[in-house]
Amino acid sequence: MKVGLVSPYDFATAGGVNDHVRHLAVQLQKAGHETRIFAPSSRSDVGFEAARFYRIGTPIAVPANDSVARITLSFHLANQVDAIVADEKFDVLHFHEPLMPALPMTMLRMSNTANVGTFHAFARSNIGYYYGRPLLKPYLGHLDRAIAVSEPARDFVNRYFPHFAMRVIPNGIDLNVYRPGLAPIRHLRDENVNILFVGRLEKRKGLGDLLRAYRVLNERVPETRLIIVGDGPQRGRVESYVQRHRLNNVILAGFVPDRVKPRYYSSADIFCAPATGAESFGIVLLEAMASRLPVVATEVPGYMSVLEPGKDSVTVPPKNWRELAASLVILARDAELRHRLADYGLNKVRRYSWERVAADVIEVYQQARKAHAAQPARELEVSGVHHAV
Amino acid sequence: MGEWTWRAFKVVQSFVARLPRPWAYALAVAASRIAWWFSPLARPRLEYNLTIACPELADDPKELRRISRLNFRNHAKAYADLMQLPRARVEAMRPRLKVQGWEHLEQARTIGKGVLVVSCHMGSYEEVAAIWSATLAPVSFFAEELEPRALFEWYRDTRARLGISVLTLDHGGIRKVLEALREQEMVITAIDRDITGTGHMMPFFGKPAPIPLGPAAIALRTGTPLFPVCVYRLPDDTYMAEGTALVIAESTGDGRADQERTTGLLLRRLEQFIQAHPEQWHVPHRIWEGGP
Repeated sequence: MKVGLVSPYDFATAGGVNDHVRHLAVQLQKAGHETRIFAPSSRSDVGFEAARFYRIGTPIAVPANDSVARITLSFHLANQVDAIVADEKFDVLHFHEPLMPALPMTMLRMSNTANVGTFHAFARSNIGYYYGRPLLKPYLGHLDRAIAVSEPARDFVNRYFPHFAMRVIPNGIDLNVYRPGLAPIRHLRDENVNILFVGRLEKRKGLGDLLRAYRVLNERVPETRLIIVGDGPQRGRVESYVQRHRLNNVILAGFVPDRVKPRYYSSADIFCAPATGAESFGIVLLEAMASRLPVVATEVPGYMSVLEPGKDSVTVPPKNWRELAASLVILARDAELRHRLADYGLNKVRRYSWERVAADVIEVYQQARKAHAAQPARELEVSGVHHAV
Repeated sequence: MGEWTWRAFKVVQSFVARLPRPWAYALAVAASRIAWWFSPLARPRLEYNLTIACPELADDPKELRRISRLNFRNHAKAYADLMQLPRARVEAMRPRLKVQGWEHLEQARTIGKGVLVVSCHMGSYEEVAAIWSATLAPVSFFAEELEPRALFEWYRDTRARLGISVLTLDHGGIRKVLEALREQEMVITAIDRDITGTGHMMPFFGKPAPIPLGPAAIALRTGTPLFPVCVYRLPDDTYMAEGTALVIAESTGDGRADQERTTGLLLRRLEQFIQAHPEQWHVPHRIWEGGP
């Protein structure tokens, strides 16, 4: 099969959807399928060789879902896309966040091949979906099959578009990259119990709660260290909180390249994910479990679709730093409990391997192709390139 | 470095980190000129060390001044590299590194006991270490603990995000070095300065100087090959990592004599590196008795 993967987000910057696209591209190539990627990019060199990359549009930062989405809003995409799609003759076009402007929506309208959409996002509400329903619904009609990465992500779409069928296929994890026994960052392996946070430093990730909890933890169990991997708009506030409260043993690692990140997991004893909501899945939880780490996380729907509290994790209500602190204290003091949770998680995470996830996605592609073939020839809504913009 | 110097360093670092590389170098070169003119101790010490390493410079003050000015300039550029490290990407660094003597490194790795890379204070080691850590095996620096603590932590955390561990010259650090070598990793250290004050008097450029015997002692204990390497800057601001044949520490039963002999072999290689690139060997410290 020849598959085109379409991402709405700046492919030069890290993010859950783009990581998903990259891994899926690698797995599809491994399975013998030709793959191309379409995405906007702020750099010409996106550092990805596994599949041919088409840079479509220049991204701009748009506030979305308590975060910042770097997407293209260009009205001149259609000219570029039309020529490429006609030339490549795809068997399947796979749209990630198909209702995200402008690239996926433009391509979806222009496509006359089998279309698959994957919905990644979860939020408490979406004003765009709410008011844009009449406008967006026809786009869903162009999808032959749809996937959601978790049940919360599926429920979120169904809240605005009831009865729209989606199959849940979770995000995957590369078990060759994240595995126990990797070389740690050696100076981080000492008598301290290392608590690891990985994520963008923004409000919804709940780092403020973790810092408050760590303050309590460090008073009760002084041999602890908090390692914060990631960068973002809250960095200044995090630094000033650490200084103001004279927190010991806090490491702000900043942005860590993907190839080094697994070694930070390997240097940790506990993984903490204190998000306050708006998480559709939580790939970091899989990375932690694959690295044989016990997880302390908040009970947000996306995380709860992955975690089994008491078996692989300890969970606490979101925005409750006192309970977060209590859970961290218990785990920091109880190595046996840490090992038990970590072993269960390691065993469980195999079901999320990219090989399995990609096999499920390929099955959906085949269903989409059958469904597309069974339909009468779709009349293109775009008779000329300029009508599309 | 005091607390206020550290804070000033952090302000300058944040600024330099955001500059394009050529601008950062331009700033570094300007700073190096000021430092060369006004440093009360660094320049006399450096020039004294250079005349020991390259005796012909003692009779040619003009050439000595030129080499010393270039030395400050190269060192300032290395500082600019260091300041840009928190935003550096290995992919961008990779085209800037050339390697000579790769076959020796391959040979060392086939022995399967890790690699102890022994060097001197020359060039930007972070670039080499980050690239080797990404492509070959995890790399650790075996280095001094800087003052103040905040500077050392910044130094350590900045390297960690490139996959480089920083191990201190103490018992805990040595234990971790042994662990790293057991797991076939690479450890980089320099022996041209006695930082801990526990060095053994050895002839260095023909004159007795305190030199650490630690790397030789570790190699004798673990069988790890010693790989003498120097990293220097090329005129186009790329780097050359030049390695020479491995030094294999052999035990004769007399521990101290074995350490001295092995360290002597390493020093001879380092002397060749330094004599070939005196403008890059930045050691404005007291190495030999009788210096300023």
